[in-house]
Amino acid sequence: MGFLTWLESLPLSVWVHESPSIWAQPTVMTMHTMGMGVLVGASWVLDLRLLGFSRKIPLSAFRWVFPAVAISLLVNLVTGILLFMARATLWGTAFPFLIKILLVVASAATLMPIRTYVLQSGPEQLEVSSSAQRWAIASIAAWAAAITAGRLLAYTVAG
Amino acid sequence: MPDIPSITSFNYTHVHLLLNHVPTIGSVVALGLFIVALIRRDDGLKLVALEVTFAIALLALPAYMTGVAAFQKMRSQPGISDTAIRLHQDVALFGFTWMEFAGFIAWVGLWQARRHGRVGRGLLVTSIALLAVSFAVMARAANLGGDIRHPELGGTPLTMDAAQFLASKISNVAVNSPWAWPAAETVHFLGLSLSFGVLLAINLRILGAMKRVPFADLHRLLPWGMLGFGLNLITGMFFFVGQPRQYIDSSPFYWKIVFLMIAGANFLYLTVFRKAWADTRGAWSATGADKTMAFVSMFVWLAALYCGRMLPFIGKSF
Repeated sequence: MGFLTWLESLPLSVWVHESPSIWAQPTVMTMHTMGMGVLVGASWVLDLRLLGFSRKIPLSAFRWVFPAVAISLLVNLVTGILLFMARATLWGTAFPFLIKILLVVASAATLMPIRTYVLQSGPEQLEVSSSAQRWAIASIAAWAAAITAGRLLAYTVAG
Repeated sequence: MPDIPSITSFNYTHVHLLLNHVPTIGSVVALGLFIVALIRRDDGLKLVALEVTFAIALLALPAYMTGVAAFQKMRSQPGISDTAIRLHQDVALFGFTWMEFAGFIAWVGLWQARRHGRVGRGLLVTSIALLAVSFAVMARAANLGGDIRHPELGGTPLTMDAAQFLASKISNVAVNSPWAWPAAETVHFLGLSLSFGVLLAINLRILGAMKRVPFADLHRLLPWGMLGFGLNLITGMFFFVGQPRQYIDSSPFYWKIVFLMIAGANFLYLTVFRKAWADTRGAWSATGADKTMAFVSMFVWLAALYCGRMLPFIGKSF
């Protein structure tokens, strides 16, 4: 508890939480949402390809997904930490928040085997292994669950 | 922060009186185009008719929304029948829903025409039928709208219980259900991510990523973008009909709709992007104008998201 209270009392945390400026909480939150759109959207497009949509496109053509995911993941890590700091004592002790974080980590984890598979695929490879397809299904479901858990935080915790 | 023009001085009633002609007159134009195309057996004209149908469905959104705004502004004025407006609004909501179905089927027709070289007969007939129904309902709405200022012309019953209107029932669910609003918000976020992903893939291809990939091969992804767009139209309309007063005086909401109209036009352009979709061998490369369009597309979608998320902060909603 001492750590969370300290975190929340930092000048940066207080600024995010209390400043009337549009650049504080509102912009940080909006960037978090934009990052989500790019992160989940790019992941889902690759998942759909793995599941057989646009099957004429070689898997190697989807390498752009990983830099897009990396950048948006970074944006959401930074904005997420800022939002956490702003109300650390609230988020740090809320069970629904813990579930959301676990779902985000699980979703991001599904990207690892998918990334390895796509980066190791041949330059013209079209077919997808069934284990990669299972990861794609897991990825779609995990991101959907993470978004759901995240949006509902506004009602379960911060309502 | 950029100075956003105040829209409280914006006269929604005038804009509504202008836009409300689009669904009715536009439907007549589109139906006429369909008839001529069928008589002449002109496949190109069929596509034009489908494009016009999609465009009317897009413009029906601000037509409906400015009407709701005008209602909220006018209801306190003397000599205005609340029942007449609510009746007009309810029929317009039905007409809007039919119109969106027509626009959606028209879009599927356009998408399929790109895949198979011609519009499927079933989709064409369905588009025309839905358009005809929406025209009939919109014409009835227009008629009832005329009664608002000219009650002497119509036979609108003087008073009806406000709670029995569809818009009131939707609003009742939005305000009183503990789960409907959070669930709709969640679906809205899922839908935006799906649309974003598909548009990111297509726009990045225009901007130079996946250069070896024939543009035509990306075509199969478009319906997923449309699915996200559709989910967000439904949930977004639920928010708007549910709590219209949160949105009608909000400048970020006004801009959100402006950006959405540009984004919708862009989505139509992407759907019928002939020179690119004709590329089945990876030979097509984008011109400067194509790349500008891709940038504009990403910008307006991000801007629409920004305005939506900023509703409580720049505007006064919630």
